[in-house]
Amino acid sequence: MPQKKIGVFVCHCGINIASVVQIEELVKRLQESSGVYYATDYKYMCSEPGQASIRDAIKEKELDGIVVACCSPSLHELTFRRTSSSVDLNPYLCEIANIREHCSWVHSDSTLATEKAQEIIETIVEKVRLDEALDPIKVPVNKRAMVIGGGISGIQSALDIADSGYPVILVEREAAIGGHMAELSDTFLTLEKSSELLSAKQREVSVHSNIQLLTYSEVEDLDGYVGNFKATIKKKAKMVDWDKCDGCGKCIAVCPVKVPFDQEHPLGKENAIYLPLLEAGPKRVVIDKGICQHFSGECSECQTACPKSAIHFDEQDETLEEEIGAVVVATGYSMYPKDRIGEYGVDGCEDVIDGLQFERMLAAWERGEGPLRRPSDGKTPRDVVFVQCSGSRDPEHAMPYCSRICCMYTVKEAMVYRKAVPDGQAYVFYIDIRTGGKGCEEFTQGGIADNRLIYMRGKVSKLYREGDKVVVWGVDTLMGKKVEIAADLVVLATATVPSPGAKELAQRLKVSADDYGFFQEVHPKLRPVESPTAGIFLSGAARAPMDIPESIMHASGAASKVLALFSQDDISHEPIVAFVDEDYCSGCGVCVETCPYGARELQGRKRVAKVIEVLCQGCGACIAACPNGACQQRNFQAEQCLYMLDAAL
Amino acid sequence: MEFEPRIIAFVCNWCTYAAADLAGTSRIQYPTNVRIIRLMCSGAVDPVYIMKALLEGADGILVGG
Repeated sequence: MPQKKIGVFVCHCGINIASVVQIEELVKRLQESSGVYYATDYKYMCSEPGQASIRDAIKEKELDGIVVACCSPSLHELTFRRTSSSVDLNPYLCEIANIREHCSWVHSDSTLATEKAQEIIETIVEKVRLDEALDPIKVPVNKRAMVIGGGISGIQSALDIADSGYPVILVEREAAIGGHMAELSDTFLTLEKSSELLSAKQREVSVHSNIQLLTYSEVEDLDGYVGNFKATIKKKAKMVDWDKCDGCGKCIAVCPVKVPFDQEHPLGKENAIYLPLLEAGPKRVVIDKGICQHFSGECSECQTACPKSAIHFDEQDETLEEEIGAVVVATGYSMYPKDRIGEYGVDGCEDVIDGLQFERMLAAWERGEGPLRRPSDGKTPRDVVFVQCSGSRDPEHAMPYCSRICCMYTVKEAMVYRKAVPDGQAYVFYIDIRTGGKGCEEFTQGGIADNRLIYMRGKVSKLYREGDKVVVWGVDTLMGKKVEIAADLVVLATATVPSPGAKELAQRLKVSADDYGFFQEVHPKLRPVESPTAGIFLSGAARAPMDIPESIMHASGAASKVLALFSQDDISHEPIVAFVDEDYCSGCGVCVETCPYGARELQGRKRVAKVIEVLCQGCGACIAACPNGACQQRNFQAEQCLYMLDAAL
Repeated sequence: MEFEPRIIAFVCNWCTYAAADLAGTSRIQYPTNVRIIRLMCSGAVDPVYIMKALLEGADGILVGG
C-alpha cells in the first residue's frame, strides 16, 4: 500500500493549549516526523477560518488522511469529519488527537507536555495510516411508536404522534386510561373538573384510528435499537369475557375482598373485581388476580352471581411482541407512603390522609355522592389541617427535593373544601409557598384571601388521636408561638415519588433512573425529554414531579422528538463495526456467546461467524474473544493498535 | 536519575476516556508519563497488546473500562 499523505493540524485553542504546549516547536518536530506529510497550526481550528485552512490543505496537498490535534473528540470529532467530507475526504480518515483535556489542561511542565503532545499525535497518525474509508450503515426506521403509561402525559404524547399520521401503541397497566388525573377534583388554575377535561382526551384516544390501546398490559422487555425496537408486552388476563359482561355490578356486590381506602389503587377499584373508570366506552369489570381470593382460596362468589356467565378464572395472560421505532416513557408518579413519616404516623388513624385521597373525596362530593365525609366515621370534617412538605425537602428522613405541585394543589384543595363545607375552617402549615408559574401566585393569594384560609409558616412536629379528633402540634414561626389544633381531618401533602415499578421498568428498557427512580434525561437543561438511549423519550412526571400543564408540554415535546425521528426514512449507524475474515474462522461460536448485543451469528452450512452490522455497537469484545484472530473491528484493527503502541512507547 | 515509569492506558471510549476528559476539564494535574490508547471498549483489549507493551518497555499497564 502506498504511503498515505497525512496532514496534522495543531490547534492553539486560544491559550488553552498554546500556554502549555510549545506549538511552534511541536509543529517543527511533526514536520520532521516520518509518517507526517504536512503539519501546520492555527489559533482556533474549529473556527470557520480554521476549518477553511484544513479544507484548503486537503485540496492543495492532496491529503488522504488528517489528524486534528485539539480538544476531546467528544466535542469536535463530528465538526472536523464534516470538514473532511465537504472536500471529499472520507470522514473516517479524519481523527482527533486530544492534546487539551489529556495534555495541556492536566500538565504544567511545558517541555514534558510538548513531548507528550507529540507522542499523542504520532499515535493517532499511526491509526490514520491504516484507517479505511468507511460509509455509514443505513438502517430503516420503523415509524410506529409505543407509549408506556396512559395518564395525561402518555395520552398527550400518543395523540400528538397519532395525529401526525403515525401508528401508536398505548400501553397502560391499569384497566383504564386516565391515570391520577382521573382521580382529581377541580384543577388549578381554572377550577374546571379534572374528569371532564380528561374525558375529552380519553374519548379521542379510544376512537383514534392510529392508536392501538392495550390496557391491563405491561411492557416486559425491550430489545433492539433506535428505529428498530421489539417490545414484549404482557396482556394480563381480565378473567372476564367483555363480550358478555354488561357491567351490571352484581359480581362486585358479592366480592368479599375490600381494597382499603388509603391504599393506592385506581379509581373505582374497591374490591378484587371492579369496574374500571372508563369515561369513554362501555362498562366492563375486571378481576385483580393478585388480591382475588379465588387464587388464594376457594372463593367463586362472583362467578356464581354473574347472570351472563362472563367470568372465567382460567383465562391466561397473553404475551404480545410488537415492533416499534420509538418509545415514550410516561409512567407518571405516585405518593410517598405516609406511614413512613414517623411523626405523622398515627397508628391506624383513617383521618390522616394524603392529598390524592382528599382529591378522591372532593371528587366524590362534586359528582353529587353526598356531603364530604371523613373516612373514619363519615362525619363532615369542620376543621381540616393541611401539612405541606410531608416527606419533601426532608433530606434526613425522606426526599430531599421539592415536589413542586403540592403548594398549588393544597391551596386548591382548601378552596374546594370550603365550597363543600362552607362553614368549615382550613389551616395550612407550610415551610415556603412555592407557586411559580403562570397565574399560580395570583391564584394562591386570591384563594387564601377569599376563603379565609389560615396559613401558618412552620412545621408540624406531631399528630395524635384524642377522642374523635386528630390533634396537630405545630409551630407558627412568624408569630413565634406553638400551635395546637384539634382537627377532624389532616391532609398530608406527601412527597411526589416515581410510579411503583419505575426502576424495574428502567432496567427492562435499559435506560437510567436517578437515585429516586425518576427517569434520567440526557441533559437537564438542554435535552430534558430524551433518555440517554437513542429512540427512548421521556414524558411528564416519569422524569420529575410536574403539574398537568407542564406534563402536557413535556409530553408534546417528547412526541415532537419521536416525529423528528420518524421524518427520516432511515438513520445512519456508525460503521466502526466488527468484521470476520472467513478464512481464519473455525466456526467455534465463541463470538456469538460473547456479543452483548446479539450481533453475531453462525452462518448455516459454512459454519463461519457473521456480523449483523446494524446491531453491532463496535465494542470489540468478540475480537478479544476470538481464538483464531479472525475477528477485527474496522478502523481499530489489531495491526493499527500495535502500531499505535509502538508510537506511544 | 529517579525512576520514571512509562504507563500505557487502554481505555474504553465511553467511560474511562470520558473520565480522562473530565480530569482535563477539572484541571486535575497528574504526571505526563501515561499514554492513552482509546478503544471502543475495554473488551477489545487483546492480551497481545498488553504483552507487546510490556516487552517493548512499558513499566505498567492500565486497562480502564
